[in-house]
Amino acid sequence: MFSYVSRRLLYTVILLLIVSLTIFFIFDLIPVDPARLVCSKQCTPSLVEANRHRLGLDVSVFEQWWRFLVGLFAGRTFGEEGIAITCAAPALGYSFSRHECVTTIVAEAFPFTLSLALGAFILWLSVGISLGVLSARKKGKFADRASSVFVLVGTSLPTFISGILVVLFIVLKFNLVNPLELGNWHNPFTDPFGWLQTFFFPCATLALAYAATYTRFTRSNVIETSSEDFIRTARAKGLSEKVILRKHTLRAALAPIVTIAGLDFAGLLGGAIITEGIFGLNGLGKLSIKAVTQTYDLPIIVATTLIASAFVLIMNLIVDIAYAFIDPRVRTS
Amino acid sequence: MKITARRLIATTSVVALAASVVLVGGMNSANAATAKPVTGGTLNYYTHAEQFPNLDPQRIYTGRDIAFLGSYVMRTLVSYKPVPGKDGATLVADMATNTGVPSNKAKTWTFTLRPGVSWEDGKPVTCADVKYGWSRTFATDVYVEGPAYPLSWLDIPQAKDGSSAYKGPYKKTGQALFDKSINCSKDNRTITFNLSRTVPDFNYYLTYLAGGPVPQAKDTGDKYDLRPMSSGPYMIKKYAINDEMVLVRNPNWKKSSDPIRTPYPDDIVVTFGMDEDVRDQIDLEDQIPNGINMDGLQPSNNVAFFEDPTKKNRRMNNYDPYTTYLAANNSAGHLDCLDVRKAVFFAFDNQSLIDLSGGLTYYGEMGDNPVKPVIGMDYAPTKGNIHDPNFKIGGNPEYAKTILEKAKTSCPDAYDRATNPAKGLKYYRADTATNKKAAVLVEAALKKAGFVIETVYKPSGTYNANLETYKNETDFLSSGWGADWANASTVIPELWGDGCCNYTKNKKTPEYAGFIKKVNLALVELDRKKQAKMWQELSQYGMDQYWYIRTVFGKSQQTWGSKIGGVYYWEPQGSFGFGQLYVKQ
Amino acid sequence: MSQFLEVSNLNVTFPTEDGDVRASNEITYSVGLGETLAIVGESGSGKSVSNLAVMGLHNPSRTKITGSAVLNLSSGPVDVISAPTESVRKLRGKEMSMIFQDPMSALHPFFSIGDQIAEAWHLYNKGSKKDGIKKATEMLELVGIPDAANRVNDYPHQFSGGMRQRAMIAMALVNNPALLIADEPTTALDVTVQSQILTLLKNLQKELNMAIILITHDLGVVAEFADRICVMYGGRIVESGSVEDIFYRPSHPYTLGLLNSVPRLSSGTSHRLKAIPGQPPSLIELPAGCAFAPRCEYVSRVTSGACLTQVPQLIEKSTSHSSRCHLSAGELNNPVKDKA
Repeated sequence: MFSYVSRRLLYTVILLLIVSLTIFFIFDLIPVDPARLVCSKQCTPSLVEANRHRLGLDVSVFEQWWRFLVGLFAGRTFGEEGIAITCAAPALGYSFSRHECVTTIVAEAFPFTLSLALGAFILWLSVGISLGVLSARKKGKFADRASSVFVLVGTSLPTFISGILVVLFIVLKFNLVNPLELGNWHNPFTDPFGWLQTFFFPCATLALAYAATYTRFTRSNVIETSSEDFIRTARAKGLSEKVILRKHTLRAALAPIVTIAGLDFAGLLGGAIITEGIFGLNGLGKLSIKAVTQTYDLPIIVATTLIASAFVLIMNLIVDIAYAFIDPRVRTS
Repeated sequence: MKITARRLIATTSVVALAASVVLVGGMNSANAATAKPVTGGTLNYYTHAEQFPNLDPQRIYTGRDIAFLGSYVMRTLVSYKPVPGKDGATLVADMATNTGVPSNKAKTWTFTLRPGVSWEDGKPVTCADVKYGWSRTFATDVYVEGPAYPLSWLDIPQAKDGSSAYKGPYKKTGQALFDKSINCSKDNRTITFNLSRTVPDFNYYLTYLAGGPVPQAKDTGDKYDLRPMSSGPYMIKKYAINDEMVLVRNPNWKKSSDPIRTPYPDDIVVTFGMDEDVRDQIDLEDQIPNGINMDGLQPSNNVAFFEDPTKKNRRMNNYDPYTTYLAANNSAGHLDCLDVRKAVFFAFDNQSLIDLSGGLTYYGEMGDNPVKPVIGMDYAPTKGNIHDPNFKIGGNPEYAKTILEKAKTSCPDAYDRATNPAKGLKYYRADTATNKKAAVLVEAALKKAGFVIETVYKPSGTYNANLETYKNETDFLSSGWGADWANASTVIPELWGDGCCNYTKNKKTPEYAGFIKKVNLALVELDRKKQAKMWQELSQYGMDQYWYIRTVFGKSQQTWGSKIGGVYYWEPQGSFGFGQLYVKQ
Repeated sequence: MSQFLEVSNLNVTFPTEDGDVRASNEITYSVGLGETLAIVGESGSGKSVSNLAVMGLHNPSRTKITGSAVLNLSSGPVDVISAPTESVRKLRGKEMSMIFQDPMSALHPFFSIGDQIAEAWHLYNKGSKKDGIKKATEMLELVGIPDAANRVNDYPHQFSGGMRQRAMIAMALVNNPALLIADEPTTALDVTVQSQILTLLKNLQKELNMAIILITHDLGVVAEFADRICVMYGGRIVESGSVEDIFYRPSHPYTLGLLNSVPRLSSGTSHRLKAIPGQPPSLIELPAGCAFAPRCEYVSRVTSGACLTQVPQLIEKSTSHSSRCHLSAGELNNPVKDKA
């Protein structure tokens, strides 16, 4: 077990190194010249060059990447002669558009993304699974049909529509949140009500789409598992329907969900771009989209991409281990 | 200032110029004069943007930001008069005692600071602070944004590529040269600028925050962009990108030293990062009555807002600072023929482009001058072009044909190029959906007059970055311009002379050389009225040459909450007159 | 002596959109402690269905069951058909158990063998987790699994096919039920393993004195281990009797056909197997008369033509031997000359 985990961790590190280098390469290839972007209309070639030097883009891709790696472990200094700025390790770079060490920016953005991801995750899992089980048990009856409407709505409404609808017609219409405070941060431990005010609707919006999928998935899994032979055996042993459902059926039906849920959650930890944008949450999603589409802020792009990749890779590992715990057939290999 | 591709929306209006002037006057509604201002309350601003591009005075280059931060946080030696209408383009003293004293044929300028002007920490604003602010512009390796006029104006040696011998206060290379160019009096209250040449409108630059002071002891380099020192009635309590900015009263600002600003609200809050649909909804529904939408509305919401009679008192529609134009490439192998250019001008179908843009009132009017009325005395209506009786808003192909006929004999090469199916004219455009629709209409109209024209699409993402290449290959190039200050010296030399953005590519003929000579004379003319006349003549000349195939005076709309009072449009800055706003009870 | 299980007139019907599937009709049989009853028939003959009804394993909302199946417990007789579902559940695993055809799919892949056996034991016995595992180990030893103390912690996929079926048996018998229903227990196993399992069952039956119902399509299996046989066709019992009755004195054309299609060591390679021509009937559209008539060689011998119009009754040929055929006794040629 230990060797398996350490081997996987090693692969993860190697992959992250490759990903980071690739980002630098891709950035180098795009036709936009970020050194020219902030240059005012009185831009001269020497100004552009000076800017390129300031942004650290006047060296080779490998050199840029190497500096980034060194910065991760030893911190990094930007600028020269008396107005130099130092970012402490792990330094993910310095954003010249936001005048701040990227590590600080990311650290401030992450609680938003984490709150959104975690809140939505818990919501969609609980709603999706319980609704799925309910519809499986009441297959063909009213509860099942009602939940299939829910599934249809949830899977067809993209978040950029449901989010806007929620904000305009629920949050603002009924003044549930002051529009100027939409997306404000409240510490969930010291101000849980404020935290709920900020995160309830975005989590619910985000959870809607997932919950619908998980309902459908759970429902079909439970129905399929219920017709398995080992369920019939459990019944033949004399177990009650409740025990059969809870212990035998659900365990087998929900095992695949562990993998899917873990990966969905990991994907959200990189930032939910649309939901964050609509509800004004300053998370990693909002951070990355602006850096990629407007400011071409390379340090932020590198940082957010790496973080998102790291989450997915690590969650892959966790999910594989978890699945091995659940399903013994996977273990021997 | 040059505008980005996003603002290239071409429209026109149906009525002639005279009527449109009336329209302009009528739409410049202000609810300023009637009610009595109220002190107190919180004034809210909300925006989709995540931050101000810069707060560092030497790095700010947009009219709106100069107006906003200048009204609240950063004072300048000189300012525009905070009133609506043409009068707003007049210079008035701010931190200085007057609008500056030129001498030595305007190669030397002297300003004296008023008493009682101080920073938020109580220390007085001194000449040394102004001088230090000016020195930061020279640190071009640290500050890439911001206006670069000081580099060429101050009497410091300059390299051919525009870089100065002085490298800024951090590197300190050439510090002695800089120190000689700006002198401070012994009492640190009078500042003298020694320029390398005559600059009659030097004091206009001092309306820029970049011409203002920075206390050296508080300079934090790149981070000054997050927290600059305040000399104005408010200071920055909080600035969190993507979150909000909070301004509170500066206890060390004295009304007696500031004739310009009337800081009524107690606090000012700017909320960043609002989703555009949410922002528009709040504005439309007046859900924040003491708030102002800083961005304007998305097009369909804009129309809804302005056509709703109940919202009459919460909106205004004015000229923005920008002119958009379609430049003809006058160089050899392109449109180096007046008759051809003139024929294109009269054949052009402007109406279809208005219809395509969906709104004539909101986007602008057909212009007759690269200089816009908002600039003030340098604007006068020209003769000919859109005032010519043969001009039709939807194009006049018959008349255009007659002009084109003349070109057969007057410039057979250009004629051949424009009408020969094997050759034809080329029009480079960014490949946006709107442009594709417009191109169809433009080509159709020109073909009616006998032109052969082809639209060449270029990737929109990199279009602006590649303009320098495209301008040599295309026959037509679309762009826009906004004057840096209320003097055509920041328009005509740049667009039609040796400045940064001349896409007309005039050939070096004796006539053109004569034109340039006149431009240079106007640049150093000390008599303002005489200078204005010279600019007007130069505008007429350029329009007579049909260097521009179409000119559009852009318009911008502002909206605000029902509890906002004291609203007027500050023409030279193209924004609200922020300093006079108040919150009604 | 009364039998432990007495099934009378059991009908199991599944209402579907296409019509009623009459899976079991007028099923009557009984089995006593220490006795093995074999129910023989093709797939679709309804042999499992009636026994699932006895166990109460049909979905009540989708099944119509009439008739009776009485368990003569020491505490008194209980008709599992009419008794409330909850009380029938409490008999499952305790008084009657069932094992199924494919032990790999019939065992839960996520729980260890020991846990699954212990779970059955805990249902009806008080004890700690350790007690349960101990009991499970004992049962594994009982069914002949070597190194039981270690293997009790293994998972089903770690057992071979034969071992899995032994484990299933262990799980079924952990609470000492009086009746074991074995639904095709060896069909999925190798031939060598088959006889091991059947021997095991026989030994356990002797040891525990339980009644066994053995459901199978394999006559060879039946000959070794059954005491009595019911032959089913088209949802009905077409012949029932002792092993000797059925093998030496078959009284139904279908039974005869089955016997003729079984290869015998004694026949030699030149003897051709005689398959029964045709297909078994659809249980939705049973023919009006005898269900076997369309495939029966002897139809012409019934001059009245009753084969096609009348469902024959179950007629007693002798005290323990009955058959459902319009032919009179002795009219059937019996090609079985010697033991299989």
